[in-house]
Amino acid sequence: MTELLQYVANGLVSGGIYAIVAVGFITIYNVSKVINLAQGEFLMLGGMVTVAMIGMNVPYALAAFLAILIVTLIGVLMQKYVIAYVKKASPISLIILTIGISTLIRGLASLIWGKDAYSLDPITSNQPFSLGGVNIAQQSVWILAAVLIVLFLLWYLMDKTMLGKKINACSVNPMAARLMGISPAKMSMLAFGISGATGAIAGIVIAPLSVTSYDIGVLLGIKGFSAAILGGLGNPLGAAVAAFILGIVESLGAGYISSGMKDAIAFLVLIVMLLVKPSGIFGERSVGKGGL
Amino acid sequence: MKQLTKKWGKSLGIYLALMIIFPFVMPDEYYRSVGIIIGLQAIVAIGLCLVMGLAGQISLGQASFWGIGAYTSAVLTTKFGLTPLVGLVASAIVPAVFAFILGRAIAGLQGYYLAMATLAFGYIVQIGIQEWEPVTGGASGMISIPQVPFFGGSELSMYYLIWGIVTCVLLFSLNLMHSRIGRAFRAIHKSEVAATSMGIDVRKFKLNAFVVSGMFAGISGGLYAHYMGILDPQPFGMHESIKFLTMVVIGGMTSIWGALIGTLVIGFISEGLVMLSEVVPGLQGDVDTIVFGGILVLIVMFMPEGLVPRIRSLYEKAQAKKAAANAEQRVERKAAI
Repeated sequence: MTELLQYVANGLVSGGIYAIVAVGFITIYNVSKVINLAQGEFLMLGGMVTVAMIGMNVPYALAAFLAILIVTLIGVLMQKYVIAYVKKASPISLIILTIGISTLIRGLASLIWGKDAYSLDPITSNQPFSLGGVNIAQQSVWILAAVLIVLFLLWYLMDKTMLGKKINACSVNPMAARLMGISPAKMSMLAFGISGATGAIAGIVIAPLSVTSYDIGVLLGIKGFSAAILGGLGNPLGAAVAAFILGIVESLGAGYISSGMKDAIAFLVLIVMLLVKPSGIFGERSVGKGGL
Repeated sequence: MKQLTKKWGKSLGIYLALMIIFPFVMPDEYYRSVGIIIGLQAIVAIGLCLVMGLAGQISLGQASFWGIGAYTSAVLTTKFGLTPLVGLVASAIVPAVFAFILGRAIAGLQGYYLAMATLAFGYIVQIGIQEWEPVTGGASGMISIPQVPFFGGSELSMYYLIWGIVTCVLLFSLNLMHSRIGRAFRAIHKSEVAATSMGIDVRKFKLNAFVVSGMFAGISGGLYAHYMGILDPQPFGMHESIKFLTMVVIGGMTSIWGALIGTLVIGFISEGLVMLSEVVPGLQGDVDTIVFGGILVLIVMFMPEGLVPRIRSLYEKAQAKKAAANAEQRVERKAAI
C-alpha cells in the first residue's frame, strides 16, 4: 500500500509538469491553431538558462526570473518572425516548421552547454520528509505548488480578465475579433509568450529533482502533447486532469512493470488513445480533424 | 515504362552516368563507404517522399522502420544462422507489417495527431530495442553480422549492389507517380474530400503509401546491418528521423528526384561538418542538428516547394522566355520580308 502511494505521489509530480506543457500547447493552439512542437524546448531552456546564470554568480531568484523573461521573449520572437511569416502555410508545413525550430533550439543548446546533464539546487533543503510512510522530496511540494499557481493564474487570466476574453475571442472567431478591434496577431504573440513563460517555470522547478540537459525537451513535449490529446485538444481543464492521470499511470507502470519502459508506457497510452477516442476523455473543444 | 523514359530520359541518363562513374572518380575506400551510406539513406528518403509528397502525410518516425529492418535481418542471421538473403527478405516484410498495423490504426489521423503518433512510435521502437536485451543485445548492440555475399562483398561491389537497389526504388517510385495510383495520391494531396467523391479510397491509398515507405526503409535497414557488421540502437532514434525529414523537405516533398537530391545535399553537408569539426576544436554537441533544424525552418519560410521543383520552374520559365523571344524574332523577320 505504501508502495502504491509512493508511486502515486511520484506520478502526481511528473503529472503536474505534463499539465503545464499541455496547457502551454493549448494556449497557443486555441489562438493560432498551431501546435508548437517546440513547446518542450521552452522547459529545457528555462532550466538551462537558469543553470547558466547561476554559473555566472547571479543569485538564484534573479537567475530564475531572467530565465523566464528570456524564454518568454524567445516565444514572442518565434511567433513574430517565424510563425507569423508563414501564415498561409499548409498544416504539414507548419509541423515541419515547428519541428525544425525545436531541432534548431536543441542543437544550439547542445553547442552552447554541451551534452552534459546539469542540476539545480533545490529551493529548500534536499532532505525528503515522510508522510504516512511515503517519502516526498521537498522540491516535489514546490513543483506541485508552482504548477497549481501557474494553472490558477492561467485560468484567472483566461476566464476573468478582459485580456483573456480577447484571447478567447480570437480563438472562437478571428474575423469577428478583428472587427471588434482585437488584433489576432498580437494575441497570438501573447499566447506564445505565455507558453514560453509557463514552460520556463516548469523547466526551472523540475531541474533540481531530475537533471536538466539539452535534450529533455522532446520527451516532455510529447508527453505534454499526449496529455493535451487525452484531455481533448483545446480543453485546458481536461488536459490538466489528463496530465495528472498520465503521470500516475506512467509512474505505476515504471514501478510495477519496468522502469526502462516508463517512456514507452506514456506513448502507448497516447497511441491507444488516438485509436480509441481521438477526441479525448473530456471532448475536444476547438474541434478539428487532427487538430487542424 | 515508355512514358517514363520519355519524360525522365535525360535526368535518368545523367543519374546513371554519375552513379556508375562515382567510385572511379573517387577511388578512395572512404568515399565509397560514404557513397554506400548515402545510397542507403536515399532508399529511406524516397519512401518517406511517397508518404509526404504523394499522400500528404507526415512521418516523424521513419528511422524506426529502418531500425526494425536492420535488427530483423541481424537477429535472423546471427541468432538463427539464416543466410543474409533470407534476412533481407524478412527485413522488407517485418517493417512493412509494422507499418501496416500502425498505418491501419492511424490512417484516419491527420496532421499533428499523425506527427505525434509517429514520433511516439519512433520512441517506442528505440526503447523496445534497448530493453529487449536477450534478442537485440540492448544498448551495447550486436556484433559480427555476416556480410551479403555479393561478388565477394568488397566495398565496390556493395556500392553497386546498393545503388542498383536505389535505382530500382527510384524507377518504381517514378513509375508509381505517373500511374493511376500516383494520380490518386495527388488528388488526395490536393483535396481529400474531392478525391473521396471521385471514388478514391483515401484510407487505403494512404495506408499503401505508408506500408511501401516502411518496406523501403526496412530493406535499407537490413542492408545497413549487413554492411556495417555491427549494430546499436543509437542511429535509429529521432535524430535520424529528423535527418530523413530534412532530406525530403530540402529536395522538395512532391518530387521523387527531390528526395534523391536532398539525400545528396545532406550527405555533402554531413561530410563537410565532419571535416569542419576536425579543424574547429571547440565544436561540441550536435552541429548537424542545428543545420537540419535551420534548413527545415528556412525552407518552409522561403522555399516551401523545395529545391528540385524550384529549379525546374526556373528552368521552365527560362525556356518559355526563350521561346517567346524566338517567336518575336520570327515575327520581326517576317515583317522585314
